[in-house]
Amino acid sequence: MNAERHIIGERGNHFLNRVEGDTGANISACYQCERCTNACPVSIFMDIKPHQVIRYVQMGRRDELLKSSTIWVCLSCETCTTYCPNEVGVAEVINHLRNLAAKSSVEPAERPLAVFHRTFLEELQRFGRVNEFWMINSFNLKPGILKEKWKSGVLKEEMLLGIRLFKKGRLHLLPSKSKGIKRIRKIMKQNEGILDR
Amino acid sequence: MKISFYPGCSLEGMANDYARSIVSVFSDMEIDLVEIKDWSCCGATAAHSLSEYLSVVFPARNLSLAEEMGLDIVSPCANCFKRLKYSQHMIKKGLYDIPWKVQGDNTVYEITRFLSQPEMLARVQKRVLRPLKGLRVVSYYGCQMVRPPKITGFFDYENPQSLDKLAAAAGAEVIDWSYKTTCCGAGIGMGRKDIQRHLTGRILEKAKQSGAEAVVVSCPLCQTNLDTAQSEKDERPLPVFYITELIRLAFTEHAGSGWFRSHFADPSMLLDEKGIL
Repeated sequence: MNAERHIIGERGNHFLNRVEGDTGANISACYQCERCTNACPVSIFMDIKPHQVIRYVQMGRRDELLKSSTIWVCLSCETCTTYCPNEVGVAEVINHLRNLAAKSSVEPAERPLAVFHRTFLEELQRFGRVNEFWMINSFNLKPGILKEKWKSGVLKEEMLLGIRLFKKGRLHLLPSKSKGIKRIRKIMKQNEGILDR
Repeated sequence: MKISFYPGCSLEGMANDYARSIVSVFSDMEIDLVEIKDWSCCGATAAHSLSEYLSVVFPARNLSLAEEMGLDIVSPCANCFKRLKYSQHMIKKGLYDIPWKVQGDNTVYEITRFLSQPEMLARVQKRVLRPLKGLRVVSYYGCQMVRPPKITGFFDYENPQSLDKLAAAAGAEVIDWSYKTTCCGAGIGMGRKDIQRHLTGRILEKAKQSGAEAVVVSCPLCQTNLDTAQSEKDERPLPVFYITELIRLAFTEHAGSGWFRSHFADPSMLLDEKGIL
């Protein structure tokens, strides 16, 4: 079927060993039963299916994984991890790859989702707590987001939703703060690189 | 009885009605609920998606504050609950430096687990003034609260019972269905509306198919997601209740006028029909 044969590169098992070490996940134990993919509620939206992710790690195909939409589409609902007969932490591996992609120079396949996570943390270090109204506004002001929402028609829908939420008393316009922000900002600073991109 | 309360960001915004119903139910049950002073955000999905370290350290601040108070924690939000439990799990492993004094020893309860302990369930049953007779509901747990069982402690993860027990204690008729723990996709809506719609639509459809008249949840994200997905023009809206809203309703003779004003899928017609408004 697939004429191109992939062989493990000259770095051997380096990537596999590294991911196994960093996550504690039992990646080598996977025998491709595909239970994770069958259980996953969003596998149809993924380019590399969960069981393939594990195989790719075994084969050291790091770049394809970091460029995949899978690592951003994953909901971290942990169904795959829970049902794996060999206790491979599938969701943990995908989450770790997401961490790696966030710190790398790879352009995320699902840019809005990556930007959303960053915006959330920016709001967190701004107030110590996250106010939904402020967060959504900050997110919309990120480069390209508003334009994309306008094109797909989501913007109009969201504005109507916002008005309804406000009328129902579910939007709080004034953010509340936690005194923890000082320390939180320091921690974020020590972990520079996460919000830079 | 005294226990600390970690409301989380949602309960100050989208789910402020949830917060009100919790405070009312706990006070009726004579449980002293003490909000953790100056709590901060747990980091939610964003923190663990971008950095494992941040996902351990943000909840740790709140764990530390609760330890200072010498109290166990009740968490009403499934996501906060899992982040707190995960943080404890990682603190115990000792892999990271945590800038706060924290042992990770106090018990973190998910709210329905706390209220469905035998002693608490008995208290609920004793306080019920007006059982919600004839109200047919399905309970929806979502993903964060039950999985992975190693972290959450939900070993009945395939067919959890805590919400079912509580709804039954309030007098409702609880229907069995297969979508109790299927993710609703609340977290992905900001970037991929199509995936969110796909997941939410299926859960609402299956709930209706099961013959339920309402859904009971205990997660502010699930509630917001399932409730706001319903249009004003829906012929048969499916109200999505927080479990404490139902318990509060069963604890009183008459519902307060503003209790359900935040709901998109208006439950007043349904409750009126059943004679429980």
